[in-house]
Amino acid sequence: MRRIKGLGPLFAAMIILLILFGVMVPNFLTRENLLDLLQQISVNAIIAFGMTLTIMIGGIDLSVGAVLALVGTSTIYVLSFGDAETQSLLHFVLAILTGLGVAGAFGAFNGVCAAKTKMPPFIITLATMMIARGSAYCFNQARPIPIADHQTVFLTIGNGRLFGVIPIPVLIMLVLFAVAGILLHRTRFGQHLYAIGGNREAARFTGIPLARTQIIVYILCAVFTGIAGMINVSQLYSAEPAAGIGFELDAIAAAVVGGTSFTGGIGTMNGTLIGAIIIGILDKGLNQAGVHFSIQDIVKGFVILAAVYMDVRRRK
Amino acid sequence: MKTKSTLLIAFLLCGFLTGCGKSDKKIMGVSFQTMNNPFFVDLDQGLRSVIETKGYELVTMDAQWNSLKQKNDISDLILQGASAIFINPVNWEGIRGSLLEAKKKGIPCIIVDVPVKDKELALSTVASDNVEAGRLAGKALVAACSSAKIGILQMSVNKACIDRVAGFREIIEQYLTMEIVDVQEVKGNTESARPVMRDMIGRFPDINAVFPINDPSAFGVISALESAGKLDNVKIVSVDGSQEAIAAIQSGKLHSTSAQFPFEIGKIAAETIFNHFDGETVEPDIKVRVALITAENAAQFLKKE
Repeated sequence: MRRIKGLGPLFAAMIILLILFGVMVPNFLTRENLLDLLQQISVNAIIAFGMTLTIMIGGIDLSVGAVLALVGTSTIYVLSFGDAETQSLLHFVLAILTGLGVAGAFGAFNGVCAAKTKMPPFIITLATMMIARGSAYCFNQARPIPIADHQTVFLTIGNGRLFGVIPIPVLIMLVLFAVAGILLHRTRFGQHLYAIGGNREAARFTGIPLARTQIIVYILCAVFTGIAGMINVSQLYSAEPAAGIGFELDAIAAAVVGGTSFTGGIGTMNGTLIGAIIIGILDKGLNQAGVHFSIQDIVKGFVILAAVYMDVRRRK
Repeated sequence: MKTKSTLLIAFLLCGFLTGCGKSDKKIMGVSFQTMNNPFFVDLDQGLRSVIETKGYELVTMDAQWNSLKQKNDISDLILQGASAIFINPVNWEGIRGSLLEAKKKGIPCIIVDVPVKDKELALSTVASDNVEAGRLAGKALVAACSSAKIGILQMSVNKACIDRVAGFREIIEQYLTMEIVDVQEVKGNTESARPVMRDMIGRFPDINAVFPINDPSAFGVISALESAGKLDNVKIVSVDGSQEAIAAIQSGKLHSTSAQFPFEIGKIAAETIFNHFDGETVEPDIKVRVALITAENAAQFLKKE
């Protein structure tokens, strides 16, 4: 109950922003525009769900942007292997599994390093960020790999619509939101995350499996990123090795605006989703209001500051 | 307390946005791969010079080298009912989704400066004549020396640079006394060109002419040759026409640069869209002139303060 109540101001801020842009921008509150808003935030929101879990246990994952690029290039590499004319189910499944496998491997590596060594997660994931980025550049001489037109199933992931209305990326985002929400708020695993983030030593003494929990968290974060990576390449009709630069910071911003505390132990999935939506509203609203791009970044900076400031005050 | 904090956000925003207010003006949009380059600022000015006099508003967006941001920016413009969209793509293949989306909504797109793979999805492509820029550099070199051993610094990921090298080769290969001895990859900036040039003169000490594909690379070449004490023996012919390059021509460090005219690219792109609105058929591939700058005419290309 308390968690829902805590989101009141955030929710209000979202509504106020919607109304504000609704007044300023003609056609802002149309169904089509709002669906597009959700589609635009889907990649960032999905990464942010995973990021919230890592921040929750007092960690961080800076490698997500680079892992997103590597998942994109390796998935499309496998997808376009061999016969270029036909689309086969085998290729599709193999490609998806490759992408998720690559993501999972990076997540597991981050997790094991974070759990079994004394290296700080900031440094571990800074290093794996470079490793993943370099690996992404190894494909196709660092050039983007196009997705062939006949790969209609894969292209549907980013560009299709359910019943011609709901964009598939939005659908995937909502499913993953439900999965992450249930994990965090309805399972013992989720309670362990709060406990670890709140007080690591106390958590250890109560018998919470610290290492295992941490490894799972980093794997989840990377796999969520992998799914976002597939949406990303599908939307762009090509896999770019240079994709995702700075995405880690966008995801952290969404989590933090949503009330996730950097000291760990505090945060909700609802908050992160609303955080991502607020940033999305700002991006879209400022764009459509014709605000110069230089001003847009300034406004976003102040909003993030304001959100964190009010969060800190509220918790005092 | 809670209301106070929400008010804080709302207040901040209002402060920023009151100046922008809503207008019933018809809009057009432009999405650049980056605005961190004076070339695109000039191009933007060129677009603006035509569009604003016709009573439209131009919304400029900076993709910051992020294809996903470019896609989102363009879909914002489409949903906002822009009358036309100018696109300078980050990824010449990845822009396909945006072009399809615009086409579905019947919004004409004009590609500026960098060609795209799916040309037929756009109304027109307006870019410098890069092949001609390469030819001009080749001709300048031929005019300056009767025989030469030439090194080329190229960037094969970029279509514009591929074209420049093709034009350059076209001229050079007509002369038996002109020989291309080495071709190396750079990233189109000064930092990457410098070490590549140092290695090149290490292996081919008799190189006496260089074609770096743009002005920033030319400065890397100049710096490498200067530190090797060889700058006086080597002729450098470049492409871009930046103010720094013109200054280098005047001080004798650079032989020539083939100037591009970004303001003109923008102006022509904007005029093209209005021709289209007037029902005229539009050329699908518009090449904008380039001009050779050497010591003789450098002064007239220098911007007056």
